[in-house]
Amino acid sequence: MKTKILVANRGEIAVRIIRAIQELNYEAVAVYETPDKESRHIRIADEAVWLGDGPRCDYLNIAKIITAAKKTGAVAIHPGYGFLAENPDFAKACENNNIIFIGPSSTVITNLGNKVIARQIMADAGIPMVPGTDNLTHGDEGVETALAFGEKYKYPIMLKATCGGGGRGIRLIENATQMKEEIPIARAEAKSAFNDDRVYLEKVVIEPKHVEVQIMADKDGKTIHLGTRDCSIQRRNQKLVEIAPSMIEDKELLDTICDTAVKAAKASKYFNAGTVEFLIDKDFNYYFMEINTRVQVEHTVTEMITGIDIVRTQIKLALGKPLSFSQDDVQMRGHAIEMRINAEDPKADFMPEGGKTVSVYRSPGGYGVRLDGFVYQGFTIPEVYDSLLVKLTVHGFSWNETVDRLRRCLKNFVISGPKTTIPFYLNITKEPDFLAGNFDTSYLDKHPELFTYDDNVDEASKLANLIAEIHHKGYNPYAA
Amino acid sequence: MERIVQGTSPADVIKQLQNADGYHITNTARDLSQSDFKNRILLHTELLAAEPRERAGFFSLEITGGASVHVDILRKQVDPFLKLKILRKKMPTTMFQTLCRGVNLFGYRPYPQNVIRFTVKEFAKYVDVWRTFDFMNYIPNMQAVFEEVGKAGKINEPCICFSTGPEHTDAFYVKKVQEILDVTGKDIILCIKNHGGLGTPKRIGELVNSIRQKYPDLPIHYHGHNSDGNDVGRIVAAVQNGATIVDAGDASFTGFYGPPPILTVIQTLKDLGHKAATIDEEAVIETSDVIRDERKHYEAFESQIKGFQPTVQIHKLPGGAMGSSLEQASKGGFLDKMPDILHKELPRVQKELGNYWSVTPGSQILWTTAVSNVQGGERYGNVSGDLRNLLLGKYGPFPFYEPEEWIFEKVLGSDWKKVLEEEGGVEVIDDMDIAKEKETLAEKIGTEPTDQQLVLYLQHPNDAVEFFKFEDKFGKVYVLPPAIFLHQGSFDAGESLQFTDHTGKEHVVEIGPSIENEDGGTSVYLNVDHHQRVYDFEPDLPEGVSAKAAVISKEEILDLAKAGDMRAPFAGNICEISIEEGQEVSAGDKVAVMEAMKMQTPINIEIDGIVTAISAKVGDSLQPGDKILKVDSDE
Repeated sequence: MKTKILVANRGEIAVRIIRAIQELNYEAVAVYETPDKESRHIRIADEAVWLGDGPRCDYLNIAKIITAAKKTGAVAIHPGYGFLAENPDFAKACENNNIIFIGPSSTVITNLGNKVIARQIMADAGIPMVPGTDNLTHGDEGVETALAFGEKYKYPIMLKATCGGGGRGIRLIENATQMKEEIPIARAEAKSAFNDDRVYLEKVVIEPKHVEVQIMADKDGKTIHLGTRDCSIQRRNQKLVEIAPSMIEDKELLDTICDTAVKAAKASKYFNAGTVEFLIDKDFNYYFMEINTRVQVEHTVTEMITGIDIVRTQIKLALGKPLSFSQDDVQMRGHAIEMRINAEDPKADFMPEGGKTVSVYRSPGGYGVRLDGFVYQGFTIPEVYDSLLVKLTVHGFSWNETVDRLRRCLKNFVISGPKTTIPFYLNITKEPDFLAGNFDTSYLDKHPELFTYDDNVDEASKLANLIAEIHHKGYNPYAA
Repeated sequence: MERIVQGTSPADVIKQLQNADGYHITNTARDLSQSDFKNRILLHTELLAAEPRERAGFFSLEITGGASVHVDILRKQVDPFLKLKILRKKMPTTMFQTLCRGVNLFGYRPYPQNVIRFTVKEFAKYVDVWRTFDFMNYIPNMQAVFEEVGKAGKINEPCICFSTGPEHTDAFYVKKVQEILDVTGKDIILCIKNHGGLGTPKRIGELVNSIRQKYPDLPIHYHGHNSDGNDVGRIVAAVQNGATIVDAGDASFTGFYGPPPILTVIQTLKDLGHKAATIDEEAVIETSDVIRDERKHYEAFESQIKGFQPTVQIHKLPGGAMGSSLEQASKGGFLDKMPDILHKELPRVQKELGNYWSVTPGSQILWTTAVSNVQGGERYGNVSGDLRNLLLGKYGPFPFYEPEEWIFEKVLGSDWKKVLEEEGGVEVIDDMDIAKEKETLAEKIGTEPTDQQLVLYLQHPNDAVEFFKFEDKFGKVYVLPPAIFLHQGSFDAGESLQFTDHTGKEHVVEIGPSIENEDGGTSVYLNVDHHQRVYDFEPDLPEGVSAKAAVISKEEILDLAKAGDMRAPFAGNICEISIEEGQEVSAGDKVAVMEAMKMQTPINIEIDGIVTAISAKVGDSLQPGDKILKVDSDE
């Protein structure tokens, strides 16, 4: 019987992982909640297990997923990103049930998932960090500590959920009054989001670049990096556009950051694929932020420039194989950009467009183009999950060529039904700062003009709209 | 001789007319469109005709005014100002002419003075000749327009509306001309407005002659309709007796109720020794040739009843209202009663109501009253608000005699003398707060409106806003030919439609498949300039949902009304809510006014009580059975 691997996720990442499993000549087991019953990941998997009506609770139900793995005879589980990916209890449950968890050990997840322990490990290893506090104690004492920290490092200050990540559980505090108000709110929010109400503080680095390093480590502790990614273009701390490698011209600095990332991974006894995130300030000081113990949404850009299949490598490493390449084998070629095509209305503060049917779906292709998606023509986007439809990743030899390709691909997309982020992204591909590689996390705030575009595009399209109406109704209702 | 060119001062135009070697012709494209094509002839067609029309050497092209301003935004979805701007580019020389209904402007009832002045000022930027009339020939109703046209340096062409009957003597009309000259001064053109095409050629000849005798230097513009097929005869008589300008239309689009063919007029008068000054006959023929093929696309808007109507001499309906009246009869299912209505009741009502001029809005009052008299069973049993206003003298005094007392009593009630005393007299409408209206409009369209947008909004608040939204969504659709814009039925799969947009860019749209979606909606696939685009349409409502009329019957509406629940008795717009919530009302009180078919009808409450809820507001478009308001009875 073929080796079976269960994919404990949905959407495009489930599709991505299933493809890797099948390329390794293993069988992929999908799981799903009822709202996802028409989802593509089920259709391409070798087997699919229904978890329950959901929404979102069954994908988070450790017992149900372990049962599904046992029932189908899966030897390993790939958690993807989100859901249970960084839940140490899930990794632990796999370990306890003799199922291979494709990712680091539950101990590593616990340590790195706890921002305070993670900071301690990094501090011990001599890795530069943004000044911050331990977990704030409950009650007045914790508030006092917070206010003193604010006094010392000056506002604004970041209030973060200890178990947060991926942009969630973060709030910006501008002054002492707000600090007092927001601590209990942040705790309550963290409690409901992560079932853990611990919070801590960090100094805010003003308008930083967000640069991260992809690392891979095998069971023997051999740890290498796959270069940098820039994920500065974000809205509300959610990444929208990711680029590899970082556009910072100082190559030595980037090398230093990569080496630091490897050092950080080693210090935390890291295993499998992970991402070490850094903030880089205006003076090119870099600070360790966190290690994400999972495959990232944006792993595709690294794959494009290195040629290394990260998900395939993850699986092989988890199954006990050593890294088959050395740091010197890793070569970066050209540039890659990924854009997350979301069913959202950028003009309405990225309001999700869930519940709408994709009546037309046409995607770009050609040289240097990669698509990671799960929607198809006729698919109704479930309202209960995230709004990512497809990731467009393009690769090019030079930055200009890459942006040109990206722009062309965005124009080639035809998605009818929901509003998408495409017209907004098209504006980015024409914006001079972006073309010059000049952007940091304040990019969207500094370019409100990106949100100005015509939904209904050109005059011909408007007139054709009337023709469509006449054709549909059999007469012109506006001239009757 | 030199053509009269656009931009010439009124005094110089009059001088040129006085010294002209022959008569002039106005191409009444607007009146042709209104009388024979329900006003639907598109700018696209007028633009096709523009180049030869410009060469043809007309005195003027009547291309706006009348009902066309409203239909432009309501049906043709073209900005009436933009229309004039675009035509001007293609026709730099020819003067543009409008038809203005005095205080009623381009609508059906009086506007406030400041709105009149603002509107005329904006339109006068593009319109050279202002033909202005009042359906009661009440000169003060036209004064504001005269003044604004004068201020703008444009030409005033006041009308005497013409009709027939023992009261309609030459002496009466000559006196009216004097009344006009007293107000305007001498530099005007006088129009004899024969909107019905009434009278024989002999009668028109006599009238023109009488005016010429008294005012030999006054240029006379004869305007007629060909409803009886004999307007060429009247035109000939008018020119023979000294009329300076006459109206006619392009032959390939002539119908039954509009102007007669230009070329027929030219040929007939030529043989009688009258020369069409400045006219290029070849260009006249060419104009008809270039638009001839377009006519088939307008078939749906041509009259349901074919043939001339010599009986217009009896019923006197104006050519411009013939199409809409016949359409109403056809849709209302009373075409069979037309002989009764047209040949018996209408002449009777006209006589009873003072034998005034059957032209907008007076023609609508006569028509509606006659229809209601025949249809309703009881004569004057169901009275429109406009008839009430007519009797109250709000539009001006009766020109010859007042209706008999029994009509006053029927329309105004048993205490009609008191009502007349209290409410009677020419209506003085308070100025509108235009700045405030501008704010309201800005709110509705989400951007600061231009003055011209504001003018359109002041004329037709709801329709203007709908039009602005339409343009936002569909762009400038005047570029679409009638073959597309007025297409009947779906296009063929694979059909390729070509047009040039307003910026001059050419486009091609190919019809692709229409696919029904799971939710019952439809996706229409089009190739727009070779790029596939998809247009989604919501599922059609199941039958009966949109047709509320079927849901609630006339009897039910009446029953509800008797319980204090006032519903719309017919489809129409709310134009007035006369009461407020909490107000005490008695049975018979007017609580609202609804408008349909250009006529206003008061909604009267059936019971005594207190108004507890008002569901409709001014401007709402209601279907029969829609809620207006509720009254709780006193008990």
